[in-house]
Amino acid sequence: MYGATVDPIEDIRSDEEKLAEFEARIARGEKIEPGDWMPEEYRRQLIRMISQHAHSEVVGMLPEGAFITRAPNLRRKLILIAKVQDEGGHGQYLYHAAETLGATREEMLEALLSGKAKYSSIFNYPTLSWADMGAIGWLVDGAAILNQTMLAKCSYGPYARAMVRICAEENFHRRQGQDIVITLALGTPEQKAMMQDSINRWWWPTLMMFGPHDTDSPNSAVLIRWGIKTKTNDELRQSFVDQTAPELMALGLTIPDPNLYYDETSGHWHFGEIDWDEFWNVVKGNGPCNAERMATRRQAHEDGLWVREAMAAYAEKDQS
Amino acid sequence: MTDTQWPRYMVLHQEQDNKPHQHAGTVHAPDAEMALLNARDVFVRRPDCVSLWVVRADLIFTRTQEELALHPDWLGNIQAAGVPTEIYYVFAKRTQKGQFSHVGEVEAENPAHALKMALQQYPAVDGLVWWVFPAKAVLKSTPDDIEAMFAPAAVKDFRDQANFHALSVLRKLMRKQETSNEP
Amino acid sequence: MNPELKQALVDYLLAMADDELILGHRNSEWCGHAPILEEDIAFANIALDEIGHAIVWYELAADVLGEERDTYANRMVYFRDAPDYRNAQMVELPKGDWAFTMLRQYLFDQFEMVRLEKLTQSSYTPLAEAAAKICTEEIYHLRHTQAWVRRLGLGTEESNRRMQTALNELMRYYEQLFSPSLADTLLFEANIVPFQTELMVHTLELIVPFLVEANLIPPRGSNFVGPNDVIYRHEHTEHLNDLLSNLQQVARLDPMAKW
Ligand SMILES: [Fe+2]
Ligand SMILES: [Fe+2]
Ligand SMILES: [Fe+2]
Repeated sequence: MYGATVDPIEDIRSDEEKLAEFEARIARGEKIEPGDWMPEEYRRQLIRMISQHAHSEVVGMLPEGAFITRAPNLRRKLILIAKVQDEGGHGQYLYHAAETLGATREEMLEALLSGKAKYSSIFNYPTLSWADMGAIGWLVDGAAILNQTMLAKCSYGPYARAMVRICAEENFHRRQGQDIVITLALGTPEQKAMMQDSINRWWWPTLMMFGPHDTDSPNSAVLIRWGIKTKTNDELRQSFVDQTAPELMALGLTIPDPNLYYDETSGHWHFGEIDWDEFWNVVKGNGPCNAERMATRRQAHEDGLWVREAMAAYAEKDQS
Repeated sequence: MTDTQWPRYMVLHQEQDNKPHQHAGTVHAPDAEMALLNARDVFVRRPDCVSLWVVRADLIFTRTQEELALHPDWLGNIQAAGVPTEIYYVFAKRTQKGQFSHVGEVEAENPAHALKMALQQYPAVDGLVWWVFPAKAVLKSTPDDIEAMFAPAAVKDFRDQANFHALSVLRKLMRKQETSNEP
Repeated sequence: MNPELKQALVDYLLAMADDELILGHRNSEWCGHAPILEEDIAFANIALDEIGHAIVWYELAADVLGEERDTYANRMVYFRDAPDYRNAQMVELPKGDWAFTMLRQYLFDQFEMVRLEKLTQSSYTPLAEAAAKICTEEIYHLRHTQAWVRRLGLGTEESNRRMQTALNELMRYYEQLFSPSLADTLLFEANIVPFQTELMVHTLELIVPFLVEANLIPPRGSNFVGPNDVIYRHEHTEHLNDLLSNLQQVARLDPMAKW
């Protein structure tokens, strides 16, 4: 829904016909647009996924935002502000995509702040040192890019278009992260130790970002069937490890996984099993920073109430 | 107090003088002037803009190709009533992966009429989705705004991934490692 | 340039740079905490611009001294303690509520705009050129902050009350931006910088009617810091210490290291 629809056009097709035509369109690689018929479940899944994605971008501003004031030189400071600002922009583009499906931002924020809606668990881990800016940029944004590159091809037009815009900016995020990691890994022994400590803390949570095994992921099948996702969680996770592990190791950094090795026969990196208890525990809200992140978001929301109200009041007076 | 996130404004941006305006996204703003200012911050953080338009999202009338095909008579039933007309802007999405872009203007009595006129006036445009909205509802940046609103993005080179040399450093290190691994 | 004038110019540039740095730093604290997502993004741009301006002034000072630009700018920011900072107290105050932040930004922007316009006439060409460039960004800041101040001033009773409270507080510090010092007289006589009193007159001419139109009452006379209580630019509130210990925390872990 971009705007008010005047004179709705009555759709006389049967539900089976509609669904068959819808799936045929997806099979042909067409984009579904607001206004087109779509199964309720498609709409529901998209709103769930896109708003969750939007919340992740917005909550994701906090862990890195905490280091804006402490960035160790002027250039890094500008870069970090721009990066965190971009994440806000991503949240903004994504809320827009969800709005085209009929969700309002008021509802979505209410769902986030009341704890009903989820966001990526990665942001429930604390940022403890400057090196974490490198680890987040490289690992977390790197993992996000794989997911987002896939979503840029998804069947829902507004989501795909938001992703195209986002992907273009994410590359800057990953590059600046790599730049920090390289600088520290090749820096003084203290800097290298700081970087290693950061990789130790962020490696596993990053692998968890891709979500549960597909066999344990209730939504995977339908998302793939309707062209929302085109790759499975496990496929994406594998590409991430294949790409990232050798690069980190080339810098002399160690990956905190004793079972990690390059498997000549498959051509892939084999890695150990994720601690799924930790994963589900953080999803359920018991991560190190869940409460803090939500309290911060709620505070900003409440502090802003009078501001939003005053601006709306002015607009109303100005019009009358 | 119930929350308000303010109304939504559609944002249309033009990358270069000789290109049409394209859809960028929306901003939430209390009024059109704030929408225009925030559109600049949300969509012109990188230098590719010479003009911005904002229009209340609820003023955009839209039809998809699928909707029009379902009811071929719908268009035919729309007749001019002889009431005063105004100018409407016409935007269309022409390819599956494409973005909405500016097609032209029509003179019409109401939104549905404007869409009908658009289809007649631009038969060569194979729109997958059409938008029409009243021209007078649009707030536009002016050429005078370019310097203050859009030009500064060009000097913010710290946002440009091309300025990071991480990749070349990494490749060099990895090549070094490969050669040292060889027996 | 004789050494005395050179030093005066460096001091002037540093004071300008420190103002913009500290203000930009305070603004950057909003990133992720603003009243609405659009403003997280918009206000971060203003923070980026102000820090960008600070860098321009630090680098000009480096040029005057014949130092390496980037090294000098970072040394000034990360390795000076509070008493060596030359920013006005107004910009170091904590960010406060959105009314305080927006009004501070507006008052600073308007002052900066007036000063920059004068500086474009500077007899020191690099300064005139830099001022002209920065001016274009300030036009946008002013448009943004004016839009906000007008709306919050006229919005609701609560927003008006918060704005008035912020204004009363900020006006106690505003005059320090214009306080003259001996060095400025030297620079003024060399046609390098405008006269401070002239800046104040021009700025007040612009802000007073604007604030009144926004239903805000600018405090007069006695509410201003009196001429006998000039606060010199090495005098700071306790807030600057806190700000700097945070800002410099990582950089000082190892001053010799590359970050
Ligand atoms: Fe992002
Ligand atoms: Fe990112
Ligand atoms: Fe400035």
